[in-house]
Amino acid sequence: MSLNGYEELEHIADLALKVWGEDFETLLRQAAFGFYHLMGAEIGSGPDTEEVFTIPQGSRESILVDFLNELLFMVEDAQMIFHDFVFERSERALTVRAFGCKSVALERTIKAVTFHELEIEQVGNRLEARITFDV
Amino acid sequence: MTALTLDVFQQISEFEWEISPDFREDMRVPVRVFASKALLLESLGDKSILQAVNASTLPGLLEAVMVMPDMHQGYGFPIGGVAATDPETGVISPGGIGYDINCGVRLLSTSIKADEAREWLPDLAAMINQFCPSGVGVGSQLHLSKQELAKACVEGARWAKAEGYATDHDLNHTEDNGRLEGADPEKVSDRAMSRGQSQLGTLGAGNHFIEVDVIAKIFDDEAARIMGLREGNLVVQIHTGSRGFGHQICTDYVRRLQGAIQKYGIVLPDKQLVCAPIKSPEGQDYLGAMRCGANYAFLNRQLLTHKLRQAFESALAGKVKDWHLTQVYDIAHNIGKFESHLVDGEQRRVCIHRKGATRAFGPGSAGLPEDYADIGQPVLVPGSMGTASWVLTGTETSMQRSFGSSCHGAGRVMSRSEAKRGIWGEDLFKRLKKQGIEIRAGSMAGLAEEAPEAYKDVDQVVESVVGAGIASKVARLHPLVVIKG
Repeated sequence: MSLNGYEELEHIADLALKVWGEDFETLLRQAAFGFYHLMGAEIGSGPDTEEVFTIPQGSRESILVDFLNELLFMVEDAQMIFHDFVFERSERALTVRAFGCKSVALERTIKAVTFHELEIEQVGNRLEARITFDV
Repeated sequence: MTALTLDVFQQISEFEWEISPDFREDMRVPVRVFASKALLLESLGDKSILQAVNASTLPGLLEAVMVMPDMHQGYGFPIGGVAATDPETGVISPGGIGYDINCGVRLLSTSIKADEAREWLPDLAAMINQFCPSGVGVGSQLHLSKQELAKACVEGARWAKAEGYATDHDLNHTEDNGRLEGADPEKVSDRAMSRGQSQLGTLGAGNHFIEVDVIAKIFDDEAARIMGLREGNLVVQIHTGSRGFGHQICTDYVRRLQGAIQKYGIVLPDKQLVCAPIKSPEGQDYLGAMRCGANYAFLNRQLLTHKLRQAFESALAGKVKDWHLTQVYDIAHNIGKFESHLVDGEQRRVCIHRKGATRAFGPGSAGLPEDYADIGQPVLVPGSMGTASWVLTGTETSMQRSFGSSCHGAGRVMSRSEAKRGIWGEDLFKRLKKQGIEIRAGSMAGLAEEAPEAYKDVDQVVESVVGAGIASKVARLHPLVVIKG
């Protein structure tokens, strides 16, 4: 298994992802890519736009949920899909600079990112999380 | 903790089972399951019963956490769960209501004979698809300002009446007349308002649908007559909820209430069970916002009803004698509200949470329209596209044993990815067409995810609630036209 990645997990009612990365920022990136994969989101070919948003500091789990919920809102509200992220940490917040453009296709609606059984664990040389999405 | 097997249940009757609060140290009340032995055994294959046990740890619970036979694993609460808390000492939990606040079902009757309309059904499917916005990313045609939306989510379905999209009969035949008191738009975030503005009056995607059915069999002549249901006639079901508006409200408060559990010293076995004392500022804020979501959903189904009426007129006027749609009832199956129920032999006001469970008030209950006072409230149980749906009524037993609640559907048994691996959307489309069912779907992959084999047998679910006495059969419906987003 590669150091960074994601895979869809079986879930009877909803959707679930396993994501992993060599550090927390990479885990966030992989979670974003896995999330877009679940949505069947296809990014357009227009010029990149940069969006900046902040996530309040908290547990790693709450930052992960807040980050994905931010992406969910931007897909629904502005059809924005991002292919790259730069993270800057401060004592109070995580600032995210996200690069991407409008989607040209979306296959599925995801209602929300949940905290259900969410735990970020160190497994060997990488961080792993299982995320459940309400659909 | 002992493993969850059939041995941990006490069998109360053929269709009722209980887990004692002694089962786990942190349980506050029993878990009461309404199901046949076969459905109960099937449910032990996922985490739904474990989630009900987790839910039984919430502060201020009364009587028992109930689980309906269409249960399946959710997040925090199981889908099919019912819980009541004490308004003075108990909590309100967004997870016990769900992201799709007031997801629900509406049933409309017609006097159109299926045989009379059969040749026009493809046109009808096309017109419904054209008039009723559905599918991923398909937006509202209303373009309300934030101020107008704030008013609409206080007024609920009543807003539609003022705008000419509803009749008095529609409102009277909607749970709580299509409006929960106490909605407070000030407690709704700008994000939720923005999502709400762009999606009002849309069906959405996933398991939401509009379905035209034929009434295949009547089981209770009197109740069916009063509801306007006649064998061989067409009826229409709408299944949708509060769209991104409700999803965002729930997301906002699940996040905000993470802090409240620490503040109030509440210990939870799962973060998704997050809650706040009903009397706390956080609990009151959530209630105000959640009621906005509930009212939005009542309004959403009302607006789709208006569009459906236009679609029926366009497709069938001049071809059938009477193409009008009359509302039978509209019910929520994801909601939280205050009701009066029997607790330990005493009538008390409780805060009821229903998540994937339907209100099922028996005859004589307060809040029913006059014409249903003697028969009880219609309980609408949609099936799964190629299978039957049911119209039931609430009973006196549901008022005594299940806080006036019953099942809400078939309940999934297969993951979406498994369904897509095993079922080819195009094949399913052809198979349903061969069975005489017209399908309009946003995507073939989405259709495969919602295949009938991904769900429990709805007839078994209905046999369980009827066997347990918490609902009574009125009519069985068979699908003819299905619109999926």
